[in-house]
Amino acid sequence: MPVDVAALIAHAEVLSADARALAACADRLRAVEAGLEAEGVAPPWLRSSVTAHLAACVTAAADLETAARDLRAYANQAARAPGARP
Amino acid sequence: MTGKGDPAAESLRAAARELVDIATTIQDASGHATAALTDGALLRALPRAASAARLAYRALLRATTSGAGLGYALTGGRAATLAAKAGAVLGAESLAVRVLATSLRLRISAVVSGHPELAGDPMVTRLVDAAAADRDLEALRALRALVKDRGAVRALSRLAPVLGEVLALRALLDENPLNDTTAWLIATGKGYASADPITGVSNKIIAVLDVGEGAARPTELPAAESARLCARGSLLGFLGNISALGTGGRVLIQSVEGPDGVIRHVLQAPGMRVGHPDGDSPQDLFGAFSSAVLNSSPYSRALAKAVADYGVPHGAELALVGHSAGGAAIMNLAQDAEFCARHTVTHVVAVGSPVDFKQPADPRTWVASVTNQHDIVPTLDGQGAGNCFDLHPDWYVVDYADPTHLFPICHSIDRYRANLAHDLPGEREHIDARLTPYRGAVVRSQAYLLFDRPPWRPDFPFLTVPTRVAPGPDGPVDLPIRTRDGAALTAYFAVRPEAVRDLLDVTGPAVRVGGRVLVAVHAARNRDTSTADHHELHLGILVPGPPHDLAGLARPLRRTDLLGVADLVRRVDVRCSGSFLVGSAVDAAGVQSLAATLWGGETYLTGLELRVSPRSVRLAADQVFSLRGRLGAAVPLSDPGFVGYAREGDTTLRSSVRARGRARLHPAPVLRLAVEPHSSHPLAERLRDLGLDGARPLLCLTSTARQSLRDAAVPVPPA
Repeated sequence: MPVDVAALIAHAEVLSADARALAACADRLRAVEAGLEAEGVAPPWLRSSVTAHLAACVTAAADLETAARDLRAYANQAARAPGARP
Repeated sequence: MTGKGDPAAESLRAAARELVDIATTIQDASGHATAALTDGALLRALPRAASAARLAYRALLRATTSGAGLGYALTGGRAATLAAKAGAVLGAESLAVRVLATSLRLRISAVVSGHPELAGDPMVTRLVDAAAADRDLEALRALRALVKDRGAVRALSRLAPVLGEVLALRALLDENPLNDTTAWLIATGKGYASADPITGVSNKIIAVLDVGEGAARPTELPAAESARLCARGSLLGFLGNISALGTGGRVLIQSVEGPDGVIRHVLQAPGMRVGHPDGDSPQDLFGAFSSAVLNSSPYSRALAKAVADYGVPHGAELALVGHSAGGAAIMNLAQDAEFCARHTVTHVVAVGSPVDFKQPADPRTWVASVTNQHDIVPTLDGQGAGNCFDLHPDWYVVDYADPTHLFPICHSIDRYRANLAHDLPGEREHIDARLTPYRGAVVRSQAYLLFDRPPWRPDFPFLTVPTRVAPGPDGPVDLPIRTRDGAALTAYFAVRPEAVRDLLDVTGPAVRVGGRVLVAVHAARNRDTSTADHHELHLGILVPGPPHDLAGLARPLRRTDLLGVADLVRRVDVRCSGSFLVGSAVDAAGVQSLAATLWGGETYLTGLELRVSPRSVRLAADQVFSLRGRLGAAVPLSDPGFVGYAREGDTTLRSSVRARGRARLHPAPVLRLAVEPHSSHPLAERLRDLGLDGARPLLCLTSTARQSLRDAAVPVPPA
């Protein structure tokens, strides 16, 4: 069965977009915390929670970007193989 | 009064909303990564590019399972869902869930900001903290301590404003995979709570137990309840009507003449009846569930049938007002496109109802939702005081808290009405202003009794007979007289033949037992009849057939065999034997005036009382006699009804009562008849003449519940 290179590349594109969205999520989390702190209504537990979440978002964004990059490499290699479907 | 609008709470809710959006983004990314990981395209390419494939798979696995990143984030597809549930059992969480949990904690903080009593309660704080930290044992201990200290009702009331969030938080973080979807729905506000957030048992499983096409029957309200109905339309008036109706399965439709002279209609629906979870009425626990979580329920279908029966004209304007489950049911009606095509639903007012995920079919319908934040019922769909979503920006939402804090008191219609009357004047005036077209004189009111299914018609088939209007002394009479709820007693006494022959001029033979003549005292209580409710009493000498032989007036009575007694319990339409009436009485003047038509002979008007139970009987005629005592052992049989004969001039009349129901033959009753001492009533004198004062009956026939038909007496054809 021929390799569906286009499907692999499509997955990679989506994962890259998600990586950027997660990086943005980290910024949004920072903004949420900063907003509540500025108003003086942030619960005492919020900072540690947000800190953990945004660290995870950054890591997840990196993980997704890595997966996207490896998927592209995989697609390129598969495309060069005989019988691959562009 | 505390409502939404506190700036700190609003900021916290806005932050919670933002976190929901972030969690959704993370969840979407998790889904995409899972889709890539499980795509067959990658698997098929694996043999051709083994090294690159291994790298890509390793990266995707890391992305979807790394605790430092997306967490255990497999989602979407059957295999991934199974893997995700297995992970949940092992306590593995995803980043999306953790962010969502933070959103719920912010919602709790927002509620606490508006409810200082929660923040200042160390027991509640301990419970909320334990639930948020996924410390089950600690949460259980905190809950037990709260219940022990306050009692179950007060503990529930105390927790009510944050209960939905606490349960969702616990469901998100616990190891039970069955409640995750519900927790996600509550936390994201994407839909109603589809399952119990603790056990994960689907609400639809409970809701589908509430089945039926719905039915409504017009019913008359007792005078005391009718007197409580509002005479003019207003919010408090309609809520007062709902209070007057109670939760006995009834609803009310009223027509009001608006300030513009137009007649409009208002449907008013009470809430759930406490008691049997699934009774005949849609106003039960199952009905409340199905009304809350389904788009159509027996309750809403029954409401539609009530509106149809009432005769609301096509296109007429209609306002719907409901409390508790009634509010959910009227919202179901409002979102029924077919119903809204027949009628113009202009207003919906739901009080204390779970309606957050319902939407009227007609976008022009104005909706008001009034909820007390300590009332748990409106949170059954998952959204309560901590809701951070503006699900219906076009609705008028009154979400408040009063100092009572006690559930279920704060859920009662009277409490809501009192709050709107005294504590929420602005909100009440706003709703009343919107209800202006309905604020006029009530010109018609009709209550309906609702059912899950059309009830068994008690009239069918026995009482479903041809009827006719016959002339009576006081006006036309509907015959035959149909009695839906009756009881009867026939007591048979043995009397010396001489007493009968010498005193009553009986014609023809009498039924005898052991050389004595049988005399019957027959009484019946007739309730829920086609005429006035009444008692009737007949004193008669048992005869084997119609007494034709006038020449036999002076002739000694002939002896008949016991076949005459057996004939007494044959079907009325083929029975020849009966009671030759020598005195009758009723306790309703309207029936007395019909007596000559119904059975003939002389009938007195006097107070009568008949109480029959399987064990004892009490029959009393004012100033005449009483018959009371124990009935003893019994043999069951079908109610044989009653046949009477009477003389009208030269004619013999035969009257009969056909009965349907179980009767009991008591062969050895311990009863005693006592004639009122010194009574000069003709019936009393007749009883004395028959020697029945102090007599005990030989046997009795009783019926405690029966239906009966009594038509006009007919002349017996000449022999």
